[in-house]
Amino acid sequence: MFKRLLFHLLRGNRVRFIVALLALTSGGAVISALLNLDLDINRKLSQEFRSLGANLIISASNAGASTLDSSVLFGESAMQTVAQTKLPGLVASPYLYLVANANSKTGQNVVVAGTWLDAVTRIEPWWKIAGDSSLSRGDLTDCFVGRNASRSLGLTPGSSVQLFYQGRSARFTVAGVIDAGGSEDSQIFVNLSVAQQLASLDNKIQLIQLSVPGSASQVRAAALRLQSAFSSLEVKPIPQITEAEGRLLARIRFLIFSTGLLILVLTALCVLATMAALAMERRKDVGLMKALGGSIQRVVRLFLAEVGVLASIGGVAGYALGMALSVWMGHRVFGASISPRWEVLPVTVILMLFVALAGALPLRLLGNVRPAVILRGD
Amino acid sequence: MFVRLLRESFTRNPRRKLLTGIALVLGMTVATATFTVAVDVGDQLAREFRSLGANLLITPQADTLPVEIGGVDYRPVDQGAYLPVSDLPKLKEIFWRHNILGFTPFLDVPVTGAIAHNAGPPQNFPAMLVGTWYSHAVPLADGTTFTTGASFTHPWWKISGQWFADGSKNCVVGALLAKTEEISIGDVLNLSASGRASASTVTGIITTGDAEDNAIVCPLVVAQDLAAKPDEFRQVLVSALTKPADALAIKDPNSMTPTEFDRWYCSPYISSIGHQIQQVLPGTQVQTIRRVAETEGRILSRVSLLLWIVTIAALIAVALAVGATSATTAIERRAEVALMKALGATNFLVSGLFVSEQLLLAIVGGGIGFLFGAGLARQLGETVFGVATSPRLVVLPVILIAAALVALIGSWIPLHRAANVSPAPILRGE
Repeated sequence: MFKRLLFHLLRGNRVRFIVALLALTSGGAVISALLNLDLDINRKLSQEFRSLGANLIISASNAGASTLDSSVLFGESAMQTVAQTKLPGLVASPYLYLVANANSKTGQNVVVAGTWLDAVTRIEPWWKIAGDSSLSRGDLTDCFVGRNASRSLGLTPGSSVQLFYQGRSARFTVAGVIDAGGSEDSQIFVNLSVAQQLASLDNKIQLIQLSVPGSASQVRAAALRLQSAFSSLEVKPIPQITEAEGRLLARIRFLIFSTGLLILVLTALCVLATMAALAMERRKDVGLMKALGGSIQRVVRLFLAEVGVLASIGGVAGYALGMALSVWMGHRVFGASISPRWEVLPVTVILMLFVALAGALPLRLLGNVRPAVILRGD
Repeated sequence: MFVRLLRESFTRNPRRKLLTGIALVLGMTVATATFTVAVDVGDQLAREFRSLGANLLITPQADTLPVEIGGVDYRPVDQGAYLPVSDLPKLKEIFWRHNILGFTPFLDVPVTGAIAHNAGPPQNFPAMLVGTWYSHAVPLADGTTFTTGASFTHPWWKISGQWFADGSKNCVVGALLAKTEEISIGDVLNLSASGRASASTVTGIITTGDAEDNAIVCPLVVAQDLAAKPDEFRQVLVSALTKPADALAIKDPNSMTPTEFDRWYCSPYISSIGHQIQQVLPGTQVQTIRRVAETEGRILSRVSLLLWIVTIAALIAVALAVGATSATTAIERRAEVALMKALGATNFLVSGLFVSEQLLLAIVGGGIGFLFGAGLARQLGETVFGVATSPRLVVLPVILIAAALVALIGSWIPLHRAANVSPAPILRGE
């Protein structure tokens, strides 16, 4: 009997039913899309910030990153220790700097950085490289030359340069010219082991640059974990990047969150209005039911069941639409797919139920309905 | 007659109108707020990104190759070219002068520091002296002054103690150097470089995460005196407010058509600002600090796109919700339509009445919604960025038209159906 009544009510006024469903579905879609996006957005934006390059530096604890002093050197085995921490998404590259003379023993001074040529282009993705940008770690004869160094030494991709350091020398072919807009523009990047041979400092490095993905707190946690693996070395975050990143991320998230909240409030109020109208419309039915002896609880239960069915359908349909929307947004904005999350479904349905039931609040007035007045048509 | 009908309709049953009205006000509030924020957010975020520091580097063109590792130039002072400080105000004379938010000149001098500890003779140590401005008032050609320096371009520099006053004989010491040489606040450092000497009082210890951690930072004039380079500096870092690069920005200015060039020149791209700086400071090389500029541009365009999509989604939700509400109220009035038709009203009169009702509601609701929305956007801007978003009057007509459209479309379908059926069944209550 209850079910039959419910079914009849739902079928009774299709226009009204569709209108309420439309409001619930659209609200549910936008909310579930934003919820889904919000869960992913931090990760996606942190990834974008990684194009800022290294955010951690490992160096000897007795010196800054700048001193050209043999006391600040440490063993290359530190790179293995870094790899052993197995931090996800971590990229690291070792550096050994020396000031060599280019092309002759008394030639122009130029800073030579010995590094892993494959890792360095991943850590510094903003480098604009003219020529070949992908070199392997084992490549001993190729080098990258900074823009200013290439101009002042007359080098172009394909030409060769000989570097002299304390009586030793090594010859390299220029693979690419780097435009970075920083000190890299006047440096030459070569294979680490060749630089070590040139400087006669086997297995020694001066610093390690690391790029760790994640939020500011995740980066700090990674720094602590790395620090615990090294006793004599110091792991320092680069404050220029970590601070700005944390601040910007917080602002962007807050902005998207508050927009989502606005939409939620709006949807709630509009669904509320629709539901209130629906409840008022039902006064006639209630009058009739009461006249036939139905208890007010039963009448209210019936109406609540109707609202519940509406909200569940609206919530589920909204979730499906919202997931499609967020996947599309992920592609459009980040060029990466955002996977639908199932935990958003119950949240959406519960929110919609809550909103719809709040709209049914005027139902309390139904208790006051006097059947005779209503049925007379007053 | 028509006007009376309209007035009656509003005074007789205000509840129905109220529902649509409230939905319109709320919907338009959200629409105005999200739209205003989305329009402004690009500018605000770009300003926020300046906390990343400078995005342009200016060096003398005829310079020898810098021997720079970790941000410190190891060239002797007599090598390389310098720029005059008197040229710096020209940075605020370019076309996009208001987008130049700050600039800081630097002069690095290798010095020998000496500090007298309680017992024993002074200890000598080699160090890099970085001469710069912390907060310096630059007089501009138009008679105003512009305060700039590291406090604007390097906001992440942390200090314990106090910064030196501009031009004073004080200095601050990098944290690492202070640790190794046991320097503390209040100590007097004797600095000397190729025969010239100067005494500076340490007023603070700085942490920068960069080369300055191992250097002494002092007012630019002190470094100039020690290097015997009066009024000169080696490089200047400029923080400029820019627009994310697009297809036009990455084009080579030399291959542009005159119209393209004008458009490029009049857009605050990093490349066009660099070009304009180059024009006022001949003999310099203006480099884009790609690490900052690239990332900033990419994240900015992504976040703005994201916010626009969210705004459009919000607008669609608003349209559906308001449409649904006005449809709800329209359904209730089917009996009224039927009665009017039974009494001989033409379809034209009936629809005219409803259209004017909805339009009236939309204009009032949209107007109030615009006011609320502007207030909300202001509040939002203040909370997120600390800068109130100014209301945009351009949005008002857009909002009013949108409100009218949504209200009309929402009520059109049910009323249209009511107008087409014969009055008798509806009046009978079927």
